[in-house]
Amino acid sequence: MVAMMHNPLRPTSPLRLVDAPPEPSSAVPEATIRVENLSIVFDVPRGQVIAVDRVSLAVMPGEFVSLVGPSGCGKSTLLNAMAGLERPFEGEVMVAGKPMLAPRPDIGMVFQQPHLFPWKSVRRNIAHGPRALGKSRTEALRIADDLIDMIGLTKFASAYPHTLSGGMQQRVAIARALANQPRVLLMDEPFGALDAQTRAVMQDNLLELRDRINATIVFVTHDIDEAILLSDRVLIMSAGPGRILRDLSAGLPRPRSSAILTDPAYLALKRDCLDLIRTEGRKAFEQMETVT
Amino acid sequence: MSTGGHNRATTAGRLSVLVGALSVPAFVGVWELIARSRIVNAVLFPPPSTVAVAVLDWIHSGQFFGDLWASLFRVTVGFLIGTTGGIMLGMLTGRFRLVSSLLSPLFHILRPIPPIAFVPIVILWFGLSEAGKLFLVVWGVFFTVWLATHIGVQKVDRGLVRAALMLGTPRRQMLSEIILLGALPYIVVGLRTAVSISFYTLVAAELAGAFAGIVYRIEIAQQNMQTGQVMGGLAALGLLSFVADRSFAAIAERAVWWR
Repeated sequence: MVAMMHNPLRPTSPLRLVDAPPEPSSAVPEATIRVENLSIVFDVPRGQVIAVDRVSLAVMPGEFVSLVGPSGCGKSTLLNAMAGLERPFEGEVMVAGKPMLAPRPDIGMVFQQPHLFPWKSVRRNIAHGPRALGKSRTEALRIADDLIDMIGLTKFASAYPHTLSGGMQQRVAIARALANQPRVLLMDEPFGALDAQTRAVMQDNLLELRDRINATIVFVTHDIDEAILLSDRVLIMSAGPGRILRDLSAGLPRPRSSAILTDPAYLALKRDCLDLIRTEGRKAFEQMETVT
Repeated sequence: MSTGGHNRATTAGRLSVLVGALSVPAFVGVWELIARSRIVNAVLFPPPSTVAVAVLDWIHSGQFFGDLWASLFRVTVGFLIGTTGGIMLGMLTGRFRLVSSLLSPLFHILRPIPPIAFVPIVILWFGLSEAGKLFLVVWGVFFTVWLATHIGVQKVDRGLVRAALMLGTPRRQMLSEIILLGALPYIVVGLRTAVSISFYTLVAAELAGAFAGIVYRIEIAQQNMQTGQVMGGLAALGLLSFVADRSFAAIAERAVWWR
């Protein structure tokens, strides 16, 4: 293992495909995030749609878990429930032992769009959270400046968001979410709107960043490469109604780089994942299930 | 690009600046000529020189600044009260569904009634007092600003609100910062419209009976057949609302400072 850390290209990287149903969460009481039998239902003009169907999962402290699935499979809805932005129809979501009923500052979120406050400079955007939580202006700006250095945007501290590129804006959004030192960081396709090159750089940045912060991370994406590259565990969701179909431990060594993307074992795993997703995607396309 | 083309463009530009500078003087000159040519009745259609004399007399008599002050006071105070109310209620109806259900139908019924139509009832309610004039301006301005704010609040990017929620933004700050600034581009458009509306309603308010004011002076001059004074008053009113509109446009450009 230790030797491999220096050479992630070695084909013997122990990628495992763990085909196991979600374990009952009572077995892991120390989990940071515990989703138990969660269902979320949306009202639509003709009845209701089940977005998330009896999902149970647990995320351990410090773990990086990706949720992957075809579009419309309910992965963002599941993430929103962890953020307290979506109320359970049935079941519950516990973060750090407390049920999620509304957003909490110990849970940070990064969206697909940066959603920076356009009237605030980079610095003040990042300082927003600490200020909202009652920190002094000086303290909040000090936190912001540290994070700005960390994301490498020191020169742009007093720039307004619209003057920055998409990738820079998203880096600010990540820094802003980290400013409250969240226990949990939820990321909803954060690199989905970026071009391929920027996306690759952002992935590398996130890998580096991950080793410097203590947050538990849940990452939603439809990009299987991105999921395997970044995470400790990949949860594959079925077509709507959303269910967890597979729980894959990537088991790749850390620190990691994008070099693993050409690893043969990785490719085999990826093929399995893609087949699974393709089948699910087709199902989603064919069935538009509504319950009245 | 060739130098010839460049020169031609500059020449055309210079020409249009020159013509633009001559536009108003040329108009005044033609007016003077026609009025003095006896083609028209000079009593009803006085030349600009007569108008200028009337305006100077107006200023020398000491009434001008009294009238200017009276009109400016009505427009400014009415505008401030009306727009403040419009923004506050627009924030409430835009953000809270219950408040909207309660007030929006009423506002939508009252909004299309031209403010001038309220002059008779305002005279009954307030007599010739200053309150009645302010009421008309406030009434005229309020609905435009309310609607602009209401729409602006509903158009605030939901993502911004969610991001602010996730960062622990308190309810009050949500309303006073995220929602208000998010809606500001719409509010500013409403305010600019409100500037010209406040001048329309000022005219109605002063015609309904006043003791000072630019429009009041126009009306008195009309009763005395002082057509020079009437036109001087019109010119003063035009200049005043022009300056108001332009300065507001300049403020509005800076109001949305992050653009």
